[in-house]
Amino acid sequence: MRKIRLAAAILAALTLTAGAAACSGSSGSGSGSSNKGSTAGGVKHTGTVSLAWPATPDFIFPFAPATNTDGYNGNLTNELWPVLTYSGDGGQSIVNPQESLFSSITWAPDDKSFTMVLKSWKWSDGQPITSRDFTFVYNLLKYNWQNWVNYFQGGFPTDVTSVSAPNEHTVVVNLNQAYNPAYYVDTILNEVPLLPQHAWDKESASGAVGNYDETAAGAKAVYAFLQKQGGDMATFATNPLWKVVDGPYTLSQFQPNGTYTYTANPNYSGNKVYMTKVVNEFYTTDVAELDALRAGVLDTGSLPLNDLQQANLLKSEGYSITADDLNAFASVYVNFWNPQVGAVFNQLYIRQAMEDLINRPQIVSKIYSGDADPGNGPVPLNFGSLVSPLEKSGGPYPYSPSTAISLLKSHGWNVVPNGVTTCTSPGTGPADCGAGIKAGQQLSFVYAYPSGVESVNQMEAAIQSWEEQAGIKLTLKTAPFNSLIGTIGTCTQASHPASTCGWQLFNEGYQPYALYPTGNQNFNTNGTYNLGGYSNPEMDTLINDTDYGNNAATFLQYENYAAEQLPQLWLPDSDFINVYKSDIGGFLPGNPFSEAINPEDWYYSS
Amino acid sequence: MTAYLIRRVGQAILVVIGVMILTFILIHIEPGNVARSVLGFRATQARVSLFNSTYGLNKSLPAQFWSYVDEIAHGNLGDSLYYQQPVTTLMGERLPNDIVLVGLSTVLALLIAIPMGVYQAVKRGGVADNLLTGVSFTLYSMPTFFLALLLIGLFCVQTHIFLPTAPQVQNWTGLFADPRGIALPVITLALLSVAGYSRYMRSSVIDTLAQDYLKVARAKGLPQRLLLFRHVLRNSLLPIITLVGLSLPAVVSGAVISEDIFNFPGMGQLFFNAATQHDFPILLGSTLLVGVATVIGNLAADIAYGILDPRVRHVSH
Repeated sequence: MRKIRLAAAILAALTLTAGAAACSGSSGSGSGSSNKGSTAGGVKHTGTVSLAWPATPDFIFPFAPATNTDGYNGNLTNELWPVLTYSGDGGQSIVNPQESLFSSITWAPDDKSFTMVLKSWKWSDGQPITSRDFTFVYNLLKYNWQNWVNYFQGGFPTDVTSVSAPNEHTVVVNLNQAYNPAYYVDTILNEVPLLPQHAWDKESASGAVGNYDETAAGAKAVYAFLQKQGGDMATFATNPLWKVVDGPYTLSQFQPNGTYTYTANPNYSGNKVYMTKVVNEFYTTDVAELDALRAGVLDTGSLPLNDLQQANLLKSEGYSITADDLNAFASVYVNFWNPQVGAVFNQLYIRQAMEDLINRPQIVSKIYSGDADPGNGPVPLNFGSLVSPLEKSGGPYPYSPSTAISLLKSHGWNVVPNGVTTCTSPGTGPADCGAGIKAGQQLSFVYAYPSGVESVNQMEAAIQSWEEQAGIKLTLKTAPFNSLIGTIGTCTQASHPASTCGWQLFNEGYQPYALYPTGNQNFNTNGTYNLGGYSNPEMDTLINDTDYGNNAATFLQYENYAAEQLPQLWLPDSDFINVYKSDIGGFLPGNPFSEAINPEDWYYSS
Repeated sequence: MTAYLIRRVGQAILVVIGVMILTFILIHIEPGNVARSVLGFRATQARVSLFNSTYGLNKSLPAQFWSYVDEIAHGNLGDSLYYQQPVTTLMGERLPNDIVLVGLSTVLALLIAIPMGVYQAVKRGGVADNLLTGVSFTLYSMPTFFLALLLIGLFCVQTHIFLPTAPQVQNWTGLFADPRGIALPVITLALLSVAGYSRYMRSSVIDTLAQDYLKVARAKGLPQRLLLFRHVLRNSLLPIITLVGLSLPAVVSGAVISEDIFNFPGMGQLFFNAATQHDFPILLGSTLLVGVATVIGNLAADIAYGILDPRVRHVSH
């Protein structure tokens, strides 16, 4: 599970950025101050730091094939070829103007095009970054988006009608419809890195660099060549292609077993990098990682919630421990198209009753020791002004077993606390169970979740127990994440007979956001992440308004509606516990979009 | 002997083919969708279809099996679905590490267990024998993970003598770049093996000591040391040879639990990850390799037995 969660968080980190200045259409400056802690005084200008990862990357070209979903590829490539908009500045959920690749983005009045001015930065080989590098990216994806793993329906580049480059650092992007600038910059442009056209626009290793990307055939050939090279793990650290980067680090060593080392890019145009060597190590299990921390041979790592009792020991051995927020929401997916219980889940009052029975504050305090977002709705509380008063006040469904029982009774259910509640009044009237629900239908569901995390086990057991108070029986089914997902697929009206649509309730973990916490893909009809096939025209309209309109009030309207409609059951989302050697500076405040893993911001105190 | 060998090799080939068929069937009847396991449950149907056609998963099971056999016949175990690398490459990176790990731990275990077993047999019933028996049984009954964590706590966390994780290296020579990293995996596996080896050795020596020809040798005044090394040791080693031969599969299967705990880049770790990721080509390749190693290990033990014990050769004729 951790792989997917991390991958998604990193993806979100890459994606979220473009600050308020950019979104509002103003010409911001790229020299804003960083929110990172001060490095004044006592900073060592070199240093080596080791990181731990639970899985390994296997592809280095930033545009991995559609069939390659190794989430850790982003971990590898983001330090080499960062995306246009950098999410998070210190601990704040804002665009980081210093580390983003553009100095300004100006939107046309109709929000159907924007002009982006790239910073006068350089590639590691000394060549300038230019608007040609952006058109190179656009051309490659324009003809190959079908084979890009990060493409989503309607996203870049199919949302673009044309791109022009009026001068060396300016690009004008025309879109196929109006977009909310905040959504576009925060969510779409942080999927897109710049690539060195002057070094990569070639069709073979020995071929000359040209402008092949400007034709369909050429773009396909270049893309195929780069993808083929990008999968050759043996040459990740030696292939001349991958030596040309614009990020803070270059890849100096890569071992196919997963360990790889970065060396600081001496020509990096962004903030000075103090950690000149970063060793990324692969740990199969949390146990091995924790042992390495306890033995003091690992500089930074994560601490599973199960092992929080190790915190004092680690502190005594020279580590600091921090709980970092994640910009994500946690939920239980409900399958609206399950043949046995889909009709039950389609009734809002059933979902309300189930949510009423989840004691989220107790999960936060007892299971997560207070280190969690309460999960009052779709937007976590650390999104500041984007959090509605309803969510801030605890959400629409505070813990209330009596409310749940009343709801069920008022809709024709014979509630049997600690037993199984059944429908006694089938029909579609206001006091009946609802459409498609037959007499005798039981409130009994199979609830799947990934195994291996004790705190999750405790939470699921607690939920099972709380739901029993209203006779809602949950049969817990747990298995390793990768095994579980083989049996769980996205279900819609069209796909629901499929073998992967047999699931009923599923808790994946959390779903990360970009800087703009859109409901797009999560709760809209046919959204990529809408596993349960939730479909509500009003929700679709509100989501479209937030993404393609430009009215801040619309977002809060959408947020409240989603919180109340329960397209998924809301759960608390635990923080990420990081452990780091106490002499590492710059670790705090942690970036919520990268789980605070930003070695380019770290330094050793002298 | 030749006919015996031909017969044994023929049996071995049949066993390997049987293992291959059985493994293929078992893996493919496991519930779940391979493409979704690899791509994630959010993968669109188009992406799933592309994945299935890329890896031939849209073909019928017999067709897939035939493709698999055809690839094996050409020395190819397929490509990993997760790593998207040839399985042979992935195994080639890890197998030498396990040869080092299992080889060193076996040698260390034998160096401890053989003298220990002989000593216990000679001092049978004494305090030392009882004490060492207790130690053996303790080690024998100890779960791998428990012993490993115990050693890590003692030698890494408390005293910082060794490292808790193995070196993450590109080839096996790198394992020795910092021997502190490989020490504990080797010691753990060795200690776990010592118990079994020493108990076999003790029993075998006790049996040998009771033989008439030793009584004769002793009556003829042969010194004890000569008696033990020339007559007892050689004859008592036969069961150990079988055990060592049977440990060959461990070289290619790796030590799943130990490798996970010590983060050792070996076959066990590869197999474990493949099992959780539905990475069928690796699972099939690993199982095939272990099957072959098991058969070869048995064969080697039989041959070695035949060489060391003429009676076996005579019987086989």
